Amino acid sequence: MDGPIKKLLVYIDGTEQSVTAAQYAICLSKLTGAELRALYVVNTRALNDLLKARIFIESEQAEYQRDLHADAERYLNHVKSLARGKGVVIETESRNGTPYVEIKSVVTEQEIDLLIIGELSHIRSRRDEFFNEAERAMRFSPCSVLIVKDEEKVWNMFDQLV
Amino acid sequence: MALLDLIEEEIVKVPLAAASKSSAVKELIGVLKDAGRIGDEDKVYQAVMKREDLGSTGLERGIAVPHAKTDQVKTLTIAIGVSPGGVEFNAMDGGLSRLFFLILAPPDQSGPHIEALADIARITRSDAFCRLIGAAKSAKEVVEIFRED
Repeated sequence: MDGPIKKLLVYIDGTEQSVTAAQYAICLSKLTGAELRALYVVNTRALNDLLKARIFIESEQAEYQRDLHADAERYLNHVKSLARGKGVVIETESRNGTPYVEIKSVVTEQEIDLLIIGELSHIRSRRDEFFNEAERAMRFSPCSVLIVKDEEKVWNMFDQLV
Repeated sequence: MALLDLIEEEIVKVPLAAASKSSAVKELIGVLKDAGRIGDEDKVYQAVMKREDLGSTGLERGIAVPHAKTDQVKTLTIAIGVSPGGVEFNAMDGGLSRLFFLILAPPDQSGPHIEALADIARITRSDAFCRLIGAAKSAKEVVEIFRED
């Protein structure tokens, strides 16, 4: 395709908002012909922080890491199935690390033109601004970022996509 | 989900009346039961104490973060308690625990569970924040401190 957007990346974190973002990304890929990738980051940084803070013990850290890998597989398979249903090819990847750092790396490595993320939580304290991973990804992304809103509208658009 | 989205007055107890570890956990579970957030209290208690048996979640500087996965909650659930007198919780620094965060998550929601615990780990690094919460006189005050932080 010749347009400005050749490669799309959608960030999946297991929230409903990120699945809505995936539906939007599938529509955009179908309509523009842009390549589509989905990324899930297992937040091993948070797991390590919890171990360091001694909130977790080692066996607990390992257990939760296994759970998160299973979540990653489940959500990425779900997104793959959504894309397949609309005849869109999607490449999926899961990584370990700090979400915004890994997102930034994938954007750079894969030469992504547009990062698509789900609607952000409402900022209800100054602390939220510092620690929300999706917000950090938005701020640190080297490419343009699209924040998907209005779940119902997106669902209707996805539903009607042939 | 931001931790703040979970914090409402009805899940905050100030002051906690409990004088022991088991009664503090039971009191916090009772707060959630009264708020209609959990199913069977005993099952929740067993899950929390099973985790405590592996190692106390009493941290330094008067913070305790008892937590468990349980199918007795439908979504990530939190209760906060402040004990001005302190409770012996086998904390790592040997001190009494004064500020309690009870976190419960369904077995299939590890992601939000970890985010909430990580949020608590971050905010409790602030001595000023812990002092403010520890000195709070009401549930309303605790909620306001979280929102203003």
